[in-house]
Amino acid sequence: MSSEKPAVVIEHLTKRYGGFTALDDLSLSLPAGQILGLIGPNGAGKTTAIKILVGLSKPTTGTARIGDVDCVGDARRIKQLVGYMPDRFGSYDNMRVREYLDFFGAAFGIPRRTRIKRIDEVLETTNTAYMRDKFVESLSHGMQQRVGIARTLLHDPQVLILDEPANGLDPQARIEMRDLLIRLAKLGKTLIVTSHILPELSRICDRVAILTQGKLRAFGTVDEISRQVSQRRTMEAQLASVEQLSAAAVVIRELIEPGAEVIEAPAEAAVRFKTALLEEQLGDVLTQLVQRGMRLTQFREVQTDLEAAFMSFANQKDENPKDTAGGVAHG
Amino acid sequence: MANPLIQRELVTMLQQRRMLLLQCCVATAFGLLVILRWPTDARMALSGTRSQEVFHLFAYGLLSALLLMLPVFPATSVVRERNSGTLALLLNTPLGSRRIFFGKLVAVMGLAGLLLSLSLPSAAACYALGGISLREDLFAVYSLLTLTALQYSALGLLVSTYATTTDAAVRWTYGLVLLSSVLALGPYQFLQGTESILAEFSDWLRCASPFAALMSLSAAGGVGAVGLISTTDVAGRFTVISLALTIAYSAWTISRLNHTIFDQARDAGEISDDQDLGTRMLRRLVFIVDPQRRSRAIGPFVNPVMVKEFRCRRFGRLHWLLRLIAICAMLSLGLTYATVTGTVDWGVETIGGILVLMQVALLVLITPSLAAGLLSTERETGGWPLLQMTPLSVLRIVWGKLLSVILTLLLVLCATLPGYVVMVYIEPGLRLQVERVVICLFATAGFAMLLSAAVGSLFRRTAPATAMAYAALLAVCGAPLLIWLGRDAPFGHDTVERALLINPVAAALSVIRLTGFRDYQLIPGNWWFLGIGSIVCLLVLIGQTHRISRPQ
Repeated sequence: MSSEKPAVVIEHLTKRYGGFTALDDLSLSLPAGQILGLIGPNGAGKTTAIKILVGLSKPTTGTARIGDVDCVGDARRIKQLVGYMPDRFGSYDNMRVREYLDFFGAAFGIPRRTRIKRIDEVLETTNTAYMRDKFVESLSHGMQQRVGIARTLLHDPQVLILDEPANGLDPQARIEMRDLLIRLAKLGKTLIVTSHILPELSRICDRVAILTQGKLRAFGTVDEISRQVSQRRTMEAQLASVEQLSAAAVVIRELIEPGAEVIEAPAEAAVRFKTALLEEQLGDVLTQLVQRGMRLTQFREVQTDLEAAFMSFANQKDENPKDTAGGVAHG
Repeated sequence: MANPLIQRELVTMLQQRRMLLLQCCVATAFGLLVILRWPTDARMALSGTRSQEVFHLFAYGLLSALLLMLPVFPATSVVRERNSGTLALLLNTPLGSRRIFFGKLVAVMGLAGLLLSLSLPSAAACYALGGISLREDLFAVYSLLTLTALQYSALGLLVSTYATTTDAAVRWTYGLVLLSSVLALGPYQFLQGTESILAEFSDWLRCASPFAALMSLSAAGGVGAVGLISTTDVAGRFTVISLALTIAYSAWTISRLNHTIFDQARDAGEISDDQDLGTRMLRRLVFIVDPQRRSRAIGPFVNPVMVKEFRCRRFGRLHWLLRLIAICAMLSLGLTYATVTGTVDWGVETIGGILVLMQVALLVLITPSLAAGLLSTERETGGWPLLQMTPLSVLRIVWGKLLSVILTLLLVLCATLPGYVVMVYIEPGLRLQVERVVICLFATAGFAMLLSAAVGSLFRRTAPATAMAYAALLAVCGAPLLIWLGRDAPFGHDTVERALLINPVAAALSVIRLTGFRDYQLIPGNWWFLGIGSIVCLLVLIGQTHRISRPQ
């Protein structure tokens, strides 16, 4: 899906409100057709970054471009290129879903006949066709979020920027939202999504950017970020019987780096250890365990998930973020 | 405090910065009111007329301030809690509906007490001037004000239990306050001196108004009296009516404060296009324009913001507009009939006066509710960033929004015009006057719209925007009339004329030469005021829209 030319380029973006720095020298780029997950705790600068991208806010310094269009200098063209869904739905009373979409379609200057067709298309894409005659204020939160996405798609923008689309949704609605975002990426849209629900992001995002205190702490694929978090891998050896637990721990301590963390988990009959050993050396550890009579049921790497990575970066104080994120992070 | 609600409500209100500002403004205004009317000559009136003049002016100001400032607090009290979810929590506590209601009522009354106590130094200054009785003047006026505060606080709380949004609660409450305090005086103005059931009813009706009661206490004659001596004990009747209404409102509100307040089913969104032909025909017959019919897509030459504004207003849908126009037309034709059959008794000027009053009252009632929330509703509901993200220019957005108000007001005004045509037919000499009245009405509509929109644009939330728009419009349309009520005593002709110059109602009534207004020359001064005021308001509105549209 991705093409060579980046769809979104942010360079040294800084936004200050008086003495408070909401965004500090943010740089990243995103190829077309990819999904970027923007994550960070409250007040990290996610919404500020998004508002600059959609032309609702001006940066103190730096530039942001979508395609070839400057987000700050050419806000009018940006409106055609971007579909923006804020964290609030923006409901109007006494309006049915079709009327609601009709208004925004007309506001984007879509001719009447094309608009009627387009409304049917976006309702179909977002699986909301059955809601067309319902009043928008009577919809559930999940339904409103999907109608909100339908609204952003009306003028067929290249880039969709969604602020917390999964916020407040139940598990079923979250799965539907995730599938919808993947479907949109398959249609060639570039998506920038903020979320607090990290497992959701790790499943759908091609790239993830972690922001804390306005600074970019990490940028890359989920795997890359996980590796940045921990140079040592967490391995787990699961035994058939808890009686061999201590013996297995002794063998592991002998074979891995001195002083490395080895944890016995009697409840699961497993030993977990952190190591920087290579694949071949880990093979030796496995061989030794088997040769010394340990009855293993599993020997595997425990994946560092996005949540752990996020917590790791969120706990960082004010270290130099470029150590992890680099000058301009390219996707 | 035994009731935890009283503390929470009152302390929350008093902690707001705007409340401090409000208190300072009220105290300053009362102080200025007394200072400006303080005797400056060396002579001393032994009868105390000068001090009474100051005191009555002060009492008027106090009552007006109370009616403008207080209703917003009870009106938003219940609906805000319900929408934020805290009412459900409250109802789940052992407090019970009665204690919840009285907690809220006492809190609002505490605020009213604070406002009244801020006026005490000014009242004491009037008293020190002499000629005012502690019991018959000061105590009576403050008792009347307390009763008024109690009645309208109970009314506000009742409205709040029915409203679904805070701005709707504010609109309905101020509408009802205006209706019962000012418009209730209208019928008596025209029927006084006659003997009929209608006249008796109008006499009782005016007694429901605190203004009538206040005037009777000032012993300056009845409201709008035309030299007739009234034997009605207005203050006594007001006390009875006010207490009865307070009890009724309270009982009604308490009966509403239970789980049924949340029982509002979501609209199923039924569409009559999907129903059988018989149902469709029946609905067409009943509604003329079926509200459940699938609406057509917005046309190519139409401002989409205007269409959106009409569609998202409860009363903006075509079937409601048709009903409104039909009611206006029926009233207008009814008055036309009265003109034809009753010109000998009432006179064309009186009928014209009723028409003008009805139209202006209608404008004052509906214009702020239409125009005040044009921007603040968008900002409150999160619609503004969405509008900003469309290619629509600021001017097109403002024009679309204003157009939706202009068209509604035009329809309403046009529906009420046939009565004038009949008047001119009966008395061709009135043609110039009627033309001027129509100009006055259109100027009033334009000014009311732009004033409401400009004032409303300064707020982020619809409820305070609507409340302040009503307050501003009532200040322009109502306050000078209060001075007019005290014409001859205590105010002189020049003072009244200067005050009326900014008042579009008075201008229209003076043009139609209604009794009590024919002596004042208000045209073209009033038109200049409305014109310049409208331009200023338009500039404020456009400037404010530009300000909130700019990237932050």
